Amino acid sequence: MSFEAGWYAVAIADGLEPGTSAGTRLFDREIVIWRDESGAAHAWEDRCPHRGMRLSFGFVRGDHIACLYHGWQYDTAGQCRYIPAHPDLAVPDTIKVTTYPSVEAGGLLWIWSEMTAEAPVPPPSDFAGTPVRSLYVERSPETIASLFSGGIAGPFEILSPTSFATVVEGSTVRLELQPFTAERTALHVVQTEGEPDAVGIAGWAEELRAVLESVPLSELTPEAHLARAMR
Amino acid sequence: MRALATMVFVGAFVPESFAEFMRHRAARLSIEARPRRIEPERIEVEVEGEPDLVDMFEMACSLGPIDCLVLEVERTGSRG
Repeated sequence: MSFEAGWYAVAIADGLEPGTSAGTRLFDREIVIWRDESGAAHAWEDRCPHRGMRLSFGFVRGDHIACLYHGWQYDTAGQCRYIPAHPDLAVPDTIKVTTYPSVEAGGLLWIWSEMTAEAPVPPPSDFAGTPVRSLYVERSPETIASLFSGGIAGPFEILSPTSFATVVEGSTVRLELQPFTAERTALHVVQTEGEPDAVGIAGWAEELRAVLESVPLSELTPEAHLARAMR
Repeated sequence: MRALATMVFVGAFVPESFAEFMRHRAARLSIEARPRRIEPERIEVEVEGEPDLVDMFEMACSLGPIDCLVLEVERTGSRG
């Protein structure tokens, strides 16, 4: 299978505090996610237009993010507004970081997988839930999706090609898949029903990761799939 | 206020790579860069624009793309 252009969860929203930045990846593209002091989240190409330094190593100052290397500051639209070495310079519009549309829903931060000026509609559907944790699994996104949809890692309801639900000790748990790189997948775990049990669900998620990383690839062949269906 | 300068870069170049690097940096800095000579050992370019941005262009090109080595930079012309 392959994944289409769309909205992908990339972080637990509350984990990105105002005034902070972090790096992530989507389809192996490096992305900085940062939250300004007013609370708005942003997702950009993780690369300063000046010398290519990762902006995720930078500092948030009010509604600007500043590059660690030479302090170039960018506003919330990605436009460079201030260059410390040239404080009187009217910075040209062409010095700008490429941005991704982003939105918060279901306690997660989502970004559109393509770099576009406007956020495509509709945004990801909102849902009530409590984010528990994010997991990073050393298997390809396609493999993880196959393991869930094939029932190999337990019974999962397929909500979308990147969204799965299951029941853990009486709680409904939703997993949002982030294609991190070709060989690595992030899973964002959200409890959507049941008594609050973050510790129990987090423990279950770690066990799930162990299962996902240990299933032999031979289990994913069409023949193996057919054999399971015949049992 | 605009600066008009001629820059000569001497070194070892992949001509197409350095030409594309100059084009990209000039576009990003909103300045004019008009190549005059593009050869494996010598690049000449006429640059025009806001003085600080012309200076940035010179600095960027003195580092250059990964497959080119700049050994020397000569610059003539106004600084605005």
